[in-house]
Amino acid sequence: MTAGTVIKSKASAWQRSAKLLETAALLLIIAFIMLPIVWLALTSVKSQEKAYTTDIIFTPTLDNFEIIFSDKSVIINEGTERERGEVGRNMFPNVINSVVVSGATILIAIPLATLAAYAFSRYQFLGNGVLLIWILTTQFIPAIVVAIPFFTLFRTVEVFGSSLLGTRLGLIIVNMSIVLPYAIWMIKGFVDALPGEIEEAAFVDGCNDFQILFYISLPLIRPGVLVASVFAFIMSWNEFLFALIIGREMRTMQVALMTTSGARGIMWEQMAAAGMVVMVPIFFLALFIRKNVVDGLTMGAVK
Amino acid sequence: MRKKRWVPWVLVGPALLIIVLTTIYPLLAALYFSFHKYKLRSPPQFAIQIGDGGISIDWSLLTLDNYALAFNDSRFINSLQVTFWFTVISVALSVIIGLGIAVIVQKGGKLHTLTKVLLIFPFAVSPALKGYSWRFMLNENYGIYDLLIDSLVVKPINFLLSIVNALPFAEIPLVSESIVWLGDKFWALFMLAMSETWGWAPLIALMFVGALGSIDEQIFEAARIDGANRLQIFFRVTLPLLRPVILIVTMLKTIFSLKMFDQVVTMTGGGPVRATQTINYYIHQVGFVRGLDIGYASAQSYILVVILTVCAVLYVSLVLNRD
Repeated sequence: MTAGTVIKSKASAWQRSAKLLETAALLLIIAFIMLPIVWLALTSVKSQEKAYTTDIIFTPTLDNFEIIFSDKSVIINEGTERERGEVGRNMFPNVINSVVVSGATILIAIPLATLAAYAFSRYQFLGNGVLLIWILTTQFIPAIVVAIPFFTLFRTVEVFGSSLLGTRLGLIIVNMSIVLPYAIWMIKGFVDALPGEIEEAAFVDGCNDFQILFYISLPLIRPGVLVASVFAFIMSWNEFLFALIIGREMRTMQVALMTTSGARGIMWEQMAAAGMVVMVPIFFLALFIRKNVVDGLTMGAVK
Repeated sequence: MRKKRWVPWVLVGPALLIIVLTTIYPLLAALYFSFHKYKLRSPPQFAIQIGDGGISIDWSLLTLDNYALAFNDSRFINSLQVTFWFTVISVALSVIIGLGIAVIVQKGGKLHTLTKVLLIFPFAVSPALKGYSWRFMLNENYGIYDLLIDSLVVKPINFLLSIVNALPFAEIPLVSESIVWLGDKFWALFMLAMSETWGWAPLIALMFVGALGSIDEQIFEAARIDGANRLQIFFRVTLPLLRPVILIVTMLKTIFSLKMFDQVVTMTGGGPVRATQTINYYIHQVGFVRGLDIGYASAQSYILVVILTVCAVLYVSLVLNRD
């Protein structure tokens, strides 16, 4: 009896410390994930002097956001050793560029991807399996290989009297190469999960292929299409290499981050503020599609 | 049941056409460029000319010089080595840390669930921003990571060393408190890989959480009844069952690491002294920043394409063999 109690209390002490260890590990994981994000958020509301310290107690200010969205020239730390004259760079046009490019990319890519995904899921046609795998492998093409020929092509091709290089349209075109394959695979997953009986019933009732697609199937996979749209939006919003090489002066927000770098280094407080503009909207979108991100990234290979 | 043969082609056609134009066209064009002398400053002379008399090919304009140059270019060889080590470090850290996180958060209480939700956040941070934020945090004067590493790692180690040094005959040099992380060749590459790990380990953890969830709970139960402890269960049951997923995830991460570009630009700029110039970064330099040599950049990117093709074949066979 006594021996039994001792063993039991030993076991529970062991369990308690294991539990404690687990909690500590979880807190460590949370710190690992959140620290860069929290630090960026803190820096974005710090004053210019405070941004260059590791202080966590300060008076928050929205000055940095005001600076990145104004045309004013700013002189920082006037009359001191660290003085830096900076031409205000209004980032509002960059936000517009990002929104237009990402928005137009999904407006074009998602309808096409939806139709293709439906066909891959519901029809047997010559080489459909091979085609799907081939689409899967296009994600492994390095973006720089896509960028080089489109750079030289867009330099010479003119649309409406100006070259496509450094235009939003040019960026939208190259973005298709990264967004379409993912969108097709993602939406196909949702069509696959849809039971075929409803469509069979509609067929028996005399609907043709397109009536079934538009009146029966599409409304049912609408949530999946929305998820794929959000995923594709995030991909093109966060895209950097094309924006740098093809977008050039037509900077998206990702490239505009680089413009916070002045003659005497990066102005971290402004970079942090611009970073928040880049990051915060995507947080909400990412939370919304949280359960589907893994399927999207791996094109369903890991389940 | 539904027989019309042309219907799927109508549905697939537009998407397929755009994918071909945005992937096959550049692949062919870059291959073609890579066999030419082609600098942006001087208009290139292409071997294939389409004139009034049809298509004519001038074979003398084709050259292997760009490829020969690549293998004699110490900077290109350096970029291959940098990419190799970056890939090894970032893949190993991402997969191991990802697996560790997955095992810890997989089941349990509120804190576990909260952590699982937070795992998605690094995915939302763009690689370019990731690079800047890590560069900021590693700054030797005001970086939070620099401060944390100094006070949580370096100072305790030095404290222990000083105790040991108090003994007679012991004279162990203390660890330097003033490492400039991005100014040191090794640490810059390591920290670049760490920033990549920060972005990917949580995602990989999510992949493993899904895979762990699909394992029948009775298998673990049986192992426990047989008297296996947690470590034994992890190494003898969980790991072997996860093997196919681990292989797929490792291959996928390898491919993404080989393509890494954004953070090099925003975090290290390839430095110090080319220590973090990955292939993609060097190609960008050659093609668009310094030489403006499209032919040479194309040849280099084709070498990368060959490497990635091998990985892609491996990846696809892993995925197909799993079912």
